[in-house]
Amino acid sequence: MSRLLSSLAWLAVACLGAGALGAIALWRGEPVNGVFFVVGAGCTYLVAYRFYSAFLAARVLSLDATRATPAERLDDGRDFVPTNRWVVLGHHFAAIAGPGPLVGPTLAAQFGYLPGTLWLVAGAVLGGCVQDFLILFFSLRRDGRSLGQMARDEVGRRAGFLAMVSVLAIMVILLAVIGLVIVNALKHSPWGAFTLAMTIPIAMLMGVYMRYWRPGRVLEASAIGFALILLAVVSGQWVSHSPEWARVFTLTGPALAVAVIVYGFAASALPVWLLLAPRDYLSAFIKVGVVLALAAGIVLVRPTIHMPAITRFVDGTGPVFAGTIFPFCFITIACGAVSGFHALISSGTTPKLLTRESDARLVGYGSMLMESFVGVMAMVAACALEPGVYFAINSPAGIVGGTAEQAAATIAGWGFPLDPETMHALARSVGEETLLNRTGGAPSLAVGMAHIFSGTIGGERLLGIWYHFAIMFEALFILTVLDAGTRVGRFMVQELLGKVFPRISRTGSWTSTLVTSGIIVGAWGYFLYQGVLDPLGGINSLWPLFGISNQILASVALVVATTILIKMGKMRYLWVTLLPTAWLVTVTLTGSWQKMFHEDPRIGFLAQASALEQQIADGRVPEAKVADTRHVMFNNRLDATVTGFFALLILALLAEAALEWYRILTRRRSALLTESPYVRTKWVEGSP
Amino acid sequence: MTARLRSALGTFWRRLREWSGDAAYEIYLARAAGQEPLSRQAFYLDGLRRRYQSGQPNRCC
Repeated sequence: MSRLLSSLAWLAVACLGAGALGAIALWRGEPVNGVFFVVGAGCTYLVAYRFYSAFLAARVLSLDATRATPAERLDDGRDFVPTNRWVVLGHHFAAIAGPGPLVGPTLAAQFGYLPGTLWLVAGAVLGGCVQDFLILFFSLRRDGRSLGQMARDEVGRRAGFLAMVSVLAIMVILLAVIGLVIVNALKHSPWGAFTLAMTIPIAMLMGVYMRYWRPGRVLEASAIGFALILLAVVSGQWVSHSPEWARVFTLTGPALAVAVIVYGFAASALPVWLLLAPRDYLSAFIKVGVVLALAAGIVLVRPTIHMPAITRFVDGTGPVFAGTIFPFCFITIACGAVSGFHALISSGTTPKLLTRESDARLVGYGSMLMESFVGVMAMVAACALEPGVYFAINSPAGIVGGTAEQAAATIAGWGFPLDPETMHALARSVGEETLLNRTGGAPSLAVGMAHIFSGTIGGERLLGIWYHFAIMFEALFILTVLDAGTRVGRFMVQELLGKVFPRISRTGSWTSTLVTSGIIVGAWGYFLYQGVLDPLGGINSLWPLFGISNQILASVALVVATTILIKMGKMRYLWVTLLPTAWLVTVTLTGSWQKMFHEDPRIGFLAQASALEQQIADGRVPEAKVADTRHVMFNNRLDATVTGFFALLILALLAEAALEWYRILTRRRSALLTESPYVRTKWVEGSP
Repeated sequence: MTARLRSALGTFWRRLREWSGDAAYEIYLARAAGQEPLSRQAFYLDGLRRRYQSGQPNRCC
């Protein structure tokens, strides 16, 4: 009887989800409501978790609840600590959730709400969650070994090296692009710049509190930090109204880029207790809190979706970024559906905390579902804006013009009516001088979130506070990723260079720290600065590069997972990794090819360099701008080279893995797994 | 009802402290029985060193 009731309940959930997604996909004429997105995605996640992840756990991976995890066997109270699974879920989610699932869907909204939403849901369920779950499980069976180590042990030494290089490359592009998101969100915004600047002394105060006054009291310090951050957000309004202070905090794009680069260097070189760790704690709290608040806000406010299901920009002529729906919608969404970076977290701290093997399902598969849900909420927030407003905020001046009147005329020509006064009024209501050409996704997302939050608390009166709270929220955890990523990148550079110059691998040496920090900051700082100078706003070139590198890392993880499945003799179930791998490789190689060789200068890097060269040759570039134009040409060629490098990287890894698969399947090589030996858990009933 | 609510809040608070790292030292002390434990400050700094100097990313995009 209970089995029948359970089946009926799951059937009802499935029908509800299918109905909501069907309404999103097929409803035409009247605007659809944001609640449909929440219900459609939520029900799909529930069904996927209940059935697909159970299938993966039971049939594909054969999770063994009697097997002791590394946390139990190697329990030292420090690195390996058996931890409640809900606590590990919180840890893992806080680690994987970054700016990607917020910014990616916001940018992809230019294709309309439908393509991005469907990919967020389907991509996560069939690709991202599978990758996270499998890599977590495989690392769990190998004492928490990293993705690079597993690639080396299971696929081959070259694969391990390729994985490490791809991680370093993605790190450089990632840090550059998120730096650019901050710059575009804060330029000419004294309120936002002041608030973010204040987070630095606040984090340092927290650092001193936890280091000297109350060691390790994270909750107390975070509560104090949060109160001070709120004070900074509110007092930012006063700063923006004060002519003297507003002048101090009104910064241009290049000035902000330099500030972010200097900050990144300092965060990498300073002791972690002073800046990185306290900011990390604060950001984790605010991140989880805002995500929950946004979900509640969408349900309470039930925002109407104004963006069409599909826009004309699926043909590749979009103003936010150029490129057709395939492959660029999938590359742009990136982390919200599949993120290679998650494989690094799944093979990092998390496997050292799991109490039981069976917990890997909740933590690995479940966390990625939550991340995908964040992406769906970002899509709702972006699509709840009037399309004209969305395009005015997210399009560079080079395309829509630099004034509200020019932008309104251009955007109206695309079929999205926009009154210039709407943009002026919106900027005034959020306390900004202008919201035009604020590319990068963060400002339009903040406007969408502010509308949802102010619809719940405070109304229009608090729109400015909510907008800057949202900007602070986005910038805070972008800076956290920037801090932590720069530091990790520094260690990678030290390890790589240490093979040639052993002295540089000494992590305690100040000379080595400064030199390697300079190298990693210089690398991402260069791309950041070129993005700021890019006439198309930078996001157009850098975000696809980031998406391609991230999806390539996901392919690396899935290739490693496929190899291990082959060695486990799970041939029947290879499709669970091969299907997403084939899709990701197709998407990334197509995207890479188009970014290099497409004839449209807005899409192809080389075509843009050639077009600029032709303009110089024709004398259409003023003499004073020739040097800058040549610089942009060089950057385009550099971007094309980097894209080609990514494509070669995945092709080399695929060749290496295919050779290994061939050897195993033809029995030329024995299928040796590098799992830790079985030890029975002491926590199972009947066990000692 | 009140007892159940109190128990639920207690569990929430305990899990929050575990998640945030606030309870890390108590957890460590419980496991360090029989050996000279680190001081609270030394344990905190050691935790930061292991977390942020491993060369392994702990924050994602």
